Amino acid sequence: MQDSFSRPAPPILGVSNRVSLIFMVTLAVALLLLGRAETYVFDQARQVVTDLAAPVLELGSRPVAAGRRLVERTDEFAYVFDENERLRQENAELLTWKEKALKLQARLARYEALLNVQLDPSINYVTGRVIGDTGGPFVETFIVNLGHEHGVESGQAVVDSEGLIGRIVSAGERASRILLLTDLNSRVPVTIEPTRQRAVLSGDNTVWPKLEFLPAGSGVVPGDHVVTSGHGGLMPPGLPVGTVIQTENGDLRVQTFSNRNRLDMVRVLQYRFPMDVPEQNPPAKLTAPVPGEESEEGQPSASDQNGALGGTAGGTAGGTAGGVVRGSLAGAGGAGE
Amino acid sequence: MKPKETIGPTPAARAGKLALLTLPFLVGLFCVFLTFVPIGSIVGIEVAPAFALMAVYYWAAHQPETFPPYAVFAVGLLQDLLSAGPIGLWAFTYVVIYGVVQTQRLVFAGRVPLVLWTGFALTALLAGTIAWSVASLYYARVLPPGPVLLQLIVTVALFPIFATLFARVERILAPSL
Repeated sequence: MQDSFSRPAPPILGVSNRVSLIFMVTLAVALLLLGRAETYVFDQARQVVTDLAAPVLELGSRPVAAGRRLVERTDEFAYVFDENERLRQENAELLTWKEKALKLQARLARYEALLNVQLDPSINYVTGRVIGDTGGPFVETFIVNLGHEHGVESGQAVVDSEGLIGRIVSAGERASRILLLTDLNSRVPVTIEPTRQRAVLSGDNTVWPKLEFLPAGSGVVPGDHVVTSGHGGLMPPGLPVGTVIQTENGDLRVQTFSNRNRLDMVRVLQYRFPMDVPEQNPPAKLTAPVPGEESEEGQPSASDQNGALGGTAGGTAGGTAGGVVRGSLAGAGGAGE
Repeated sequence: MKPKETIGPTPAARAGKLALLTLPFLVGLFCVFLTFVPIGSIVGIEVAPAFALMAVYYWAAHQPETFPPYAVFAVGLLQDLLSAGPIGLWAFTYVVIYGVVQTQRLVFAGRVPLVLWTGFALTALLAGTIAWSVASLYYARVLPPGPVLLQLIVTVALFPIFATLFARVERILAPSL
């Protein structure tokens, strides 16, 4: 027994070993070719395995989350004075903005009432934790501990406290997969503020996703804000995405607000494209005469759900209604300013 | 079962030995799960070291009989199913790496840690090249090589720690081989 441990390795592979090695290589190649055809069976198998692995991954992500919090706490302690000073300043600035926002909200509510705009139905969301990392250099997907039992479906948008992260590509009972904006397969229709230029945000496995289908001379400059456009009906419009940056070779790319390396708790938005919203006939809004009161109750849904996501959200959230109304709303908004 | 083994170990002992022999495979599966734990988020950088590659390499170099090709394939397939990449990518890469390392076993027979580490660095480079090429072919575009390189560097840097752990598992196994 002892000398079997110290004997030199046999120089030639056993025949059976070699045969099974060749068989396995062939099998792997066959799988690759079959998988290229994107068969339903593979996706199902993948979802089943992910669902089964979810408890294990959840267990593994606990100590990681604890470790993270520890690191973050230490960081916070080190910078607590600077941070306090910065927050005070920011608070002062935000208070001014709040005043402006309230005024604008009142005015917007009035315009909406005049134009008979159909408001967004309120968006429900579920909060979950990222339990699985990408697991390799070729894909940019995370696993989140939410599934059908929480109402999560394929296609729903996923956000964190800063902005859009990606969307659900496959949902199981307990766990689902998020396709990040940076993934090779990610395409998200976006609008660039303030020019209202439309583009497609397209991932290519690098840190900064590309802006595609942007016409030449579009007037988009680095620093512009990028928000979801809502075209295609998968995602609610107006979710903050990131800031336009320019790379050395002149490409326009986007620095996302969300930091994929710091993802922990995420929100899955259960948005439904408002196709069957009942027509408001006659305009209910116009019967309420005082614009100031309207602003308090008039638009709770859009502002509530987007409130945590940053300032840009409220601005475009009102424009979800049908294409005709959207056009005239944009016109009125421009005239109003 | 075998008529020759009339005075063999008791069935319980044999079952225990069998269970022990699956240990490298279980370690391999554990490594796959470890790959998906978001460790990088603690420090805020993106790392997903290829832990399973370490296991495949170590056992192919030391005790391939305890980690047969189908076990390597299963480990790779699990990683493929848990990630969203091409199915068969890691299964293919690991089985090929396993085959290549096994043919070089004489080099590792002396059990010099530095040789093992150097061997792993070369193996990781080969594995990265294979996986990158296959993925690029699969997606029909040249993928950015940066993430793969980063993954390789982190994986090679962490290898000595895992090699020590694997060596401990091997010592547990030694009496039953």
